[in-house]
Amino acid sequence: MTMTDRRRPSRIGNTLGDRAFGVLLTLPGLALLGAVVLYPLVAALVTAFFEQSLLTPGRTFVGLDNVTAVLGDDFLALLRQTLVFTVGSTLVPFVVGFALALALNTRLKGTRTLRGLFLIPWLVPGVVVSFLWMWIFNANYGVLNALLEGMGLIDAPQAWLSKPGTAMLAVVVAKSWQSFPWMMVMLLAGLQTVPGELHEAAEIDGAGTIRRFFSITVPHLSGIIGLVVLLEFIWNFQHFDIIYVLTGGGPAGTTQTFATAVYETAFRGYDLGKAGALGLLWMVLLMGLVVVYIRFTERGEAR
Amino acid sequence: MTILDTRPSTPVAGAGGRPRTRRLSRSSDRPAVRIAAWLSVVVLGAFAFAPVYWLLVTSLTPHSAVFTYPPTWFPANPTFDAYRELAQNPALFTYLRNSVVVSAVTAVLSVVVSASTAYSFSKFRYRGRRSLMYLVLASQMFPQALLLVTLYAVFAAYGLLNTYTALVLSFTTFTLPLCVWMLKGFFDTIPDELVEAAKVDGASRMRTFLTIVLPLAAPGLVAAGLFAFVRGWNDFIFALTLAGPARQTLPPGLVNTFVGEAATAWPELMAASLVVSLPVSAAFIVLQKYLVGGLTAGAVKG
Repeated sequence: MTMTDRRRPSRIGNTLGDRAFGVLLTLPGLALLGAVVLYPLVAALVTAFFEQSLLTPGRTFVGLDNVTAVLGDDFLALLRQTLVFTVGSTLVPFVVGFALALALNTRLKGTRTLRGLFLIPWLVPGVVVSFLWMWIFNANYGVLNALLEGMGLIDAPQAWLSKPGTAMLAVVVAKSWQSFPWMMVMLLAGLQTVPGELHEAAEIDGAGTIRRFFSITVPHLSGIIGLVVLLEFIWNFQHFDIIYVLTGGGPAGTTQTFATAVYETAFRGYDLGKAGALGLLWMVLLMGLVVVYIRFTERGEAR
Repeated sequence: MTILDTRPSTPVAGAGGRPRTRRLSRSSDRPAVRIAAWLSVVVLGAFAFAPVYWLLVTSLTPHSAVFTYPPTWFPANPTFDAYRELAQNPALFTYLRNSVVVSAVTAVLSVVVSASTAYSFSKFRYRGRRSLMYLVLASQMFPQALLLVTLYAVFAAYGLLNTYTALVLSFTTFTLPLCVWMLKGFFDTIPDELVEAAKVDGASRMRTFLTIVLPLAAPGLVAAGLFAFVRGWNDFIFALTLAGPARQTLPPGLVNTFVGEAATAWPELMAASLVVSLPVSAAFIVLQKYLVGGLTAGAVKG
C-alpha cells in the first residue's frame, strides 16, 4: 500500500541526456539536505570521540572514553525508560485507534463527522498537548484527581507528574492521546480496502464476527498494521516535546529518554562529547529500526 | 464538519484505482456489533474529547475560580478575560509574527527546493535513484536532538543564532524529506505520456517541467506547502534552542511565558493553546482532500 513507485521503466528517462537531467534535478534538494541533516548528524556523532564543550572552542581526542562513561552512567535505566515510553506510546494508540477504526467502519450514523472530530488531538501542537495534560494531571487543582476521587478510585489527590511511579504513565497517556488519531486514519483507510464480499462469503459459511475479524480483517491489514506500528515506534523512539514540557525528564530522571538526555547533556551540561556518545548509541539502535522500515517499504512497493 | 473522507483521493494511495470496496457485511447490523461499536465510540470519545472540553472550560473560567478543588465542571460565570489578557501581551504578538514568518518561509523554501528532486525521483530513471530516495526517507527519522548539537555550533560560529535564517534552515531538516515524498506522490499521478508529448512537441526538458508538470501539480505543491507550514508551526525543540525571545516562535514562547511561574495562569494558557491550535486545524480542513492520500502515501506525519 505504501509509496507507489510503479516498477515499469519510465520511458522518459531513457536517453543519456534525460538521465543526466534527472540527476541534475535532484541537486538542490539533496544539497540542502546534506547541509542541514547529513553533515550535522555525522558531525554530532564524531564529537563522541572528543572531549568538547558547547561553551568553549577546541577539543581533544579521547577515543572511546565518552562511550564508556555513558555506558557506565545508568545507561540501562535510560534504555529501559526509552523503551517503556516508546512501547507504551505505540501500543496504547494502536489499540485505541484500531478500536475506533473498526467502530467507525460500521454503518452507524454520524461516523463521517466523528472521523473528522477524532482528528483534533492529532492536530494540536505538541506543546499544547503538554499544557493540557499538565493541567489535567495538576496535583492541587487537577480535574483527573477530582474525577477519580469522585468515583472513589483514589483517597486523596495524587501528584501524578512528580512521583516516580506515575510520571511515566502520565507521559504515555498524553503522548497516546496525541497519536491515536493518526493510527485510526491509517487503519480506517486499510479497513476500507477489505472486500466486503470476503466477509459475506465467510458469514454464509458460518464464521462469527470474531472469527472473521481474526481470519479476514487482521490478515488483510497485516501490512498496514506493521507499517503504522513500526513508524510510530520510530517516531516515539526520538520524541522530545511532550516529555520535555510535561516532566522535563523528571522526577529524579525517571522519564528521561534518549531524546531528553541528549538535549540535557548538550544544552544544560554543555558536554558535547557525552551527548555525541549517547547519540551514537541511540543511532545504532535507531538505524536497526530504520533498516527494517525501509525493507518493509520496499516490500510494499514491489507488491 | 467533515474533515476527511478516508477514501484515498488520489492514486497515490495504492488502492486508489480500485472501486470503492466499502461494502459492509450485514453483520454490522447485528445488535451485538452495533452495541460494541457504540460503546467504543463513547468510551474512547470521552478520552479524546474530555480534555478538549476541559481546555475550553478552563479558558473561560475567571481567575478567582480556577484555583478551587474540586473544580466546577461547568463554568459558573464564563468570561473572555483570559483572551483579553492575551491580546494585551505584546510578547505574544512577537511570537505570533515569528511563527507566521518562519513557518511561511520554511514552507515556500521547502516546496521550491524539493519540487525538482521529487520530479526527478518520480519521472527519471538512473543508477542510485532508489538509494537516494531511501536516504531522503530515512533522513526524517534522524533524531532532532542530535542534529541540534551541530546546528547550534554552526549557527553560533556564523553568528546566525537568534535569526529567522537559523530557524528556517533547521525547520527544513524535517520539512524537506516530507515535501520530497509528498510531491513525488503527486508527480506519480501525472501520466508519463504527457511529458513525452511535450518532448515530441519540441519543448525542452526544463520547459516541460516548469510550464507543463508544475502547473498540473499545483494542488500538490499547495498541499505539501501547507503540510510544511503546519510542521514548522508545531516545532518546539529547534525554536527553543536556536532563538531567544525576540525570534522565538509560539510553542517555546508560550512555555517561556507561562510555564515555571509560581502560579501558572491556567485560563490564559488554555486560551493561548486554543488560539495556537486554530491555524493548524484550519490548514487541515483546507488540506482534507489530500490528507489521507498524502498520509497513506508513506512516511508522512503532521
